[in-house]
Amino acid sequence: MHPILGDRQRLLVYLVAWQLLGLLLTMGLRQGASWVEAAAFFLPLCAIYAFVCLSAWYLCRAFPMNTATSIWNVLLAYAASAAVASLLWVVSAMGWAMTLKLALDIDGPTRLYQEQLLLLFVLGVLLFWLAAACQYMLMAFQASRDAETRAIELDLLAREAELRALRAQIDPHFIYNSLHSISALTASDPAAARRMCLLLADFLRETLRLGSSARITLGSELALAERFLAIEQVRLGARLQVAQETDPQAIECLVPPLLLQPLVENAVVHGIGQLIEGGTIRLAAMRDGQTLTITLDNPCDPDRARTRGVGLGLELLRKRLTTQCGVYDAVRASEEAGRFRVEVRMPAVTTP
Amino acid sequence: MKSPLRIAIVDDEPLARGVLREMLAAHDDIEIAAECANGFEAVKAVAEIKPDLLLLDIQMPKLDGFDVLELVGREIPVIFVTAYDEFAIRAFDVHAVDYLLKPFGADRLADALLRARARIASRERPVVEPLLTAARSDRSPLQRILIRNRADVHVIPVTKIDYLESQDDYVAVRAGGKTYLKEQTLSELETLLDPSAFVRIHRRYILNLSRLSKLELAVSDSRIAILTDGTQLPVSRSGYARLRELL
Repeated sequence: MHPILGDRQRLLVYLVAWQLLGLLLTMGLRQGASWVEAAAFFLPLCAIYAFVCLSAWYLCRAFPMNTATSIWNVLLAYAASAAVASLLWVVSAMGWAMTLKLALDIDGPTRLYQEQLLLLFVLGVLLFWLAAACQYMLMAFQASRDAETRAIELDLLAREAELRALRAQIDPHFIYNSLHSISALTASDPAAARRMCLLLADFLRETLRLGSSARITLGSELALAERFLAIEQVRLGARLQVAQETDPQAIECLVPPLLLQPLVENAVVHGIGQLIEGGTIRLAAMRDGQTLTITLDNPCDPDRARTRGVGLGLELLRKRLTTQCGVYDAVRASEEAGRFRVEVRMPAVTTP
Repeated sequence: MKSPLRIAIVDDEPLARGVLREMLAAHDDIEIAAECANGFEAVKAVAEIKPDLLLLDIQMPKLDGFDVLELVGREIPVIFVTAYDEFAIRAFDVHAVDYLLKPFGADRLADALLRARARIASRERPVVEPLLTAARSDRSPLQRILIRNRADVHVIPVTKIDYLESQDDYVAVRAGGKTYLKEQTLSELETLLDPSAFVRIHRRYILNLSRLSKLELAVSDSRIAILTDGTQLPVSRSGYARLRELL
């Protein structure tokens, strides 16, 4: 679609610009004819030529700025098309001058320009080139805006993909280990094996369900974490203890889904899992006015081998909270006296 | 009848030990010699009970399966048992007999036991240490040193080491006023330690740079390193060059 013809507003601006140009020509090339005569000649002529010059767009499109077309080809094309356009311009000028003389008995233009065909022709060529230059600028402007839009779209897509991947991240080892526990229980305690199956099925179903929503209540997130911990308790036995302290106002707040999951997983795998005696994971959620604070702390081995996993998980969470909730610096981690503590602070929101 | 294969089960999860116990009960030629809930117990069991085979979990607190293998792998064949398939290549690099992925069935376990019997019959004792060193390159620089004194294991974070001294086939690890002997060469350890924190100051010494208090000129242009606790160590000419590069 033509960028000017296809847009009513742009077309109006374009035509007004041509009329201003017509006024300039009226003033500059009056040469003794009366104002009215000159304007009656130039203004309609410019209106007609405005449409002729729109054709320059196709030339612009055929020879985009950034392609490696031979400069001679481009010049030749522009010279030829400008000549053709300008011939039209001269012919219409003559025709219009004649019409004015015959129909309205205005003979100024004919008098003036019949002798100056060359001047008119050069003027037509220059105007065509001017129009072409303007359309090149328009093209460049549009291209940069398109690129910007595309970049934003791509960015959104990338973010979306990242989040999708985040939601889908159920540690496969967790599933293998759980299945191994079930396998162990089938012989020794079939009822417990069945309970474990149900817990695992519930956990997986909830993870997939909650993961596909944009926001969930902290209550559902906590329920999911409880399920996860219950499953891990079957595996780790008395080594894993859980203490929870949540304020009823906090659990109604909305949070991105699976916000706690990576934290709880870290606490089990890198905290409790690295301690022979195990310990207690403490989970707390408070609402203080407009701020929701979730803290999770777990015992850890200060001499443990450092892995990249924990830092990466926290970094992903930080990024998620920045992109999804616009909160910067929401996640703080610290380690003190053999306890690892993560604090998440975000605005308390209860309506989506 | 064949002599029973004496097995030690090592897993920090009671249920995982249970499933092995249950599956092994079906084998007449197997005796469970020990059940260990962590790596320390495993090393102790190997030293005291001398089982024929270890069924060894990898993910365990403090000492993981690879740590245990490093400490006892020369004495006993090992079958790894884990939910993590990403360690498989490393496991075979350190000459594990087999690698069981949780959850596994009784058939797969029987397979692994057959292999173990074959390995034991061949009397092959793989040289574990250098291979472990290679396998550990992914964990370098070394974060802690494991030292075994018969049934006991000491885990020494490298940050707590003052210096290391070569003593024939052993390395004396000095940390917090105590000395631990590790069966390894000083050069081997040197390649594993963080080169920006540990410097070979002498043919016989590696120094934890953070323990250095000052350098003093001794006779005939050799130097002496004085540590924060007052210990004096000789510094060779090339050792001094290495130190100057870092300071």
